[in-house]
Amino acid sequence: MPVWNATNVGHLLSRTLFGYSKNDLSVAQGYGTFSDLLDLAILKDNPAPIAPNVWINTLPAASQTTSGETGLWYREFNYWWFNLMYKEGLNMREKMVLFLHNHFSNERDKVVYPQNMYTQNVLFRKYAFGNFKQLVKEISIDPSMLIYLDGNNSRGASPNENYARELMELFTMGIGNYTETDIKQAAKVLSGWQVNGLTSTFVASRWYSEVSVTVFGKTAKFDVNSLIDHIFDQKATAEFICRKLYQEFVYYKPNEAFVLQMAAVLRSNNYEMKPLLKFLFTSDEFFTEAYVGSKIKNPTELMVGASKLLELSSPDYINMYELSKLLQMQLFQPPNVAGWPGQREWISSTTYSHRGGFTDSLITGKRYNGVAVTGKLVPVPFAQTFTNSEKAVEFVDDVCTLFLAFPLTAKKKAFLLDTLLAGTIVKNYSTYLTGVNVNLQQFFKAVMRLPEFQLC
Amino acid sequence: MKKELTRSEFLRQMALISGGVGLGIAGMPGQAYATLPAGLAASVPAGNVLVIIQLAGGNDGLNTVIPAEDDTYFAKRPDIAIKKVDALALKKGMYLHPSMTGIKSLYDQGNVAVVQNVGYANPNRSHFRATDIWNTGSDANVVWEEGWAARYLAEKYPSYPIALPSHPMAVQLGSVESLLFQSDIGRFGTVFEDPALFYQLVSGTLADDEIPPATLAGDELAFLKQVSSASVQYSTVIRDGALKGANTLTYPVTNLGKQLGIVAKLITGGLETPVYLCTIGGFDTHANQLTQHANLWRQISDAVAAFQKDLNAQNKGDNVTIMTFSEFGRRVNQNGTTGTDHGTAAPIFVIGNTVRGGLIGENPNLTNLDTNGDLKANFDYRQVYSTVLSDHLGLSLTSTAGIFKKSFDRLPIFLNSPLIAEAGVKVMLLDPAPNPASGQVRIQFAAFEGMRVELALFDMQGQKLGSIFTGEVLSGTYTYPVDLTHFLTGNYLISLATSTGARITKRLIIVN
Repeated sequence: MPVWNATNVGHLLSRTLFGYSKNDLSVAQGYGTFSDLLDLAILKDNPAPIAPNVWINTLPAASQTTSGETGLWYREFNYWWFNLMYKEGLNMREKMVLFLHNHFSNERDKVVYPQNMYTQNVLFRKYAFGNFKQLVKEISIDPSMLIYLDGNNSRGASPNENYARELMELFTMGIGNYTETDIKQAAKVLSGWQVNGLTSTFVASRWYSEVSVTVFGKTAKFDVNSLIDHIFDQKATAEFICRKLYQEFVYYKPNEAFVLQMAAVLRSNNYEMKPLLKFLFTSDEFFTEAYVGSKIKNPTELMVGASKLLELSSPDYINMYELSKLLQMQLFQPPNVAGWPGQREWISSTTYSHRGGFTDSLITGKRYNGVAVTGKLVPVPFAQTFTNSEKAVEFVDDVCTLFLAFPLTAKKKAFLLDTLLAGTIVKNYSTYLTGVNVNLQQFFKAVMRLPEFQLC
Repeated sequence: MKKELTRSEFLRQMALISGGVGLGIAGMPGQAYATLPAGLAASVPAGNVLVIIQLAGGNDGLNTVIPAEDDTYFAKRPDIAIKKVDALALKKGMYLHPSMTGIKSLYDQGNVAVVQNVGYANPNRSHFRATDIWNTGSDANVVWEEGWAARYLAEKYPSYPIALPSHPMAVQLGSVESLLFQSDIGRFGTVFEDPALFYQLVSGTLADDEIPPATLAGDELAFLKQVSSASVQYSTVIRDGALKGANTLTYPVTNLGKQLGIVAKLITGGLETPVYLCTIGGFDTHANQLTQHANLWRQISDAVAAFQKDLNAQNKGDNVTIMTFSEFGRRVNQNGTTGTDHGTAAPIFVIGNTVRGGLIGENPNLTNLDTNGDLKANFDYRQVYSTVLSDHLGLSLTSTAGIFKKSFDRLPIFLNSPLIAEAGVKVMLLDPAPNPASGQVRIQFAAFEGMRVELALFDMQGQKLGSIFTGEVLSGTYTYPVDLTHFLTGNYLISLATSTGARITKRLIIVN
């Protein structure tokens, strides 16, 4: 069993949550065991949140795009989700919803209506810790998915192959585990559906008329549910989804032996996610020291997490929304059907620079283009929430331990201390010095500009 | 699917790039080149530039370069076929999409080479795997983790990553670095959307000379530091280039128009970067494709026309070549939602003043399809890459073959292919395709001027078994399907003799 200590608890929180504040860490430490922390907080089932607004029930209509309403609603939807993440406490549900949104990647550019995208988001939340197989059945006839992968209006006589291909390649089995013929046959089974406003309906006359089709060597009159049962009977399926979870939550290069163990747990629990997550997050593999700090934060983790660390009372979700586009993680607009690839793919010369610009903006109150950012850090009272706020050396140590999963060298700590002191000496440093707010601003900017801050 | 900077390489790089610079802004220019590295042939003008335009999503080749006189095309695409009267006539029964007026006028000036039916054996129809294949230059059945352009750049800049060259090695307009520029010694691309903004963003970046520990997390930190060091160094060069360069006309207000406008500024502003990548997405036209496909090609065509005009006005046109690519073409049959599903071969455009304009290769054959109902490729995509690398960027044939781990016959894409000129015979005989072959084989040659040719099949004892073609040809590409059903399994020779003095043979293996 993994050792219960601050490093391990911090590692668990950093991977299951969108970052954490020092208060979150201390509350988590109060649970005493990983089992309790998981059962009573991280994997706890919480009631569904209140919907963002009444537009979720408004029938989609072209006038909503021409009037610009859909754009406004998507903004509201984004802010609403950012807020759920920011206020998630110690619960992993929103992290799983994002994982599922990335896995069953749908783009708003094609889906168009936030109403449909919201329905899908609700589905992800319902199954965040639930049955993955059932989720795949429901997502296969989800209006947003039908629109996005062209299941909408696909007819059995000349079916559209788009969803059938991605269902196998990206959602369940992985490339190399099926043939082009399997795709063509499955496309027939998946035909017959139509999106009508907020829901989807099956039109039997549009379905395939053959007596049976053959998929992975089995011949039957498959329907959506039996096809997906059949897909989940394939060995590759549990391994594929477990590999993806491993890469998201442990390390981006999968340990295949451990993935097989995860797959066995998933199968033996009939594709229920919660027992698998508990297995993963209590495993020695997860807490292997080498994995600590090895994940490059995704932009949402970076933005929400930085706001949590700075204990901002009301972070500027407009700022997050605008930056999410520049950092290449606009929610509901993944780059393509494979979702965001993650890890090093987040980083280019441009996105790396924008990351620093974002963390700066929480402190300066200004975005890179000069637009005001609300709810910025008030540095002095925040610094004073640290036990060692008046002892410069210890304060730097404490901030580094909390903010950085990667240990800093003495040289870098000395640089940070110099930045904090800005000419004064350790003995004279105090948060009551005149002008110390500028020192603190520079200091927090520098900490979050370190490449180490990008890791968790 | 890529390999990353290894530890030892990172150490070399960090030690040298930021040597002597403490915490704060780091980065020292590496040495600029005094002489051409060994692999680069001197016969191509130094300073040639390749601008790659990626068409993400799988471009429908048949509705781009259209066989509008082929009845099968209309039979298989009753709702989405584009009629001859609407399309822009090229030659040999092929037409451009009606919205490609800009590219059509470049074609009429002889500046557009259309390489038809480009693909590879055992084509993959997954967007992601297929894109990786096109970016790495691998066969379909092996996974490579480095971009082909990165391997070229590694050859051109052998001191990287020990030292950063003074100018960016590759520039990508966008935000997420393509696999094209990634390699196991590091990333070759500098990625940004706007030069001035990029400079401003980088200004707060901290870089340092510390060497991260040899741990998994340390490797990720090393990677982050490499990106930040390159950003710090190149943001100034790029901003200055953009300030010094100019656009002599207004580009279309589209994403691609903006990208090409910036590329033109950087080229005319003196950036020595040899490779640029621009991207336009939206080609995955499974449903209702007509309007979207038309809009996409209008964007490309208008932006490319503006770019060519701009470069010519600034006397840079002769140095710059555009090449398009997409991960696959689309199914010959339309699907049930007035769109097309994932397919295989498609045309590639190579555009520039030094290009030999025209259609290269035979027209798509809409009846001889693979078992999936998709086109069979006529050219391997690496033939196009190899041609561009050697005939435009001046890479030696040996080095070009090294990049793809095998040698590919080049195509007659450029007017003054230096290697062809050296040979002096003005003709190329391509490898028989497929080879080994059974049943039927395609024999192709390209004549660079009018000449008399004798194309024949010989056995290994030098006995002539039959004539394939004898006669006068004009400049162009010629394809002859040869029926092999009467030949025994074994080795044969295809021979091409011409009035220009060529005596070229290619080995053909027949498996019947």
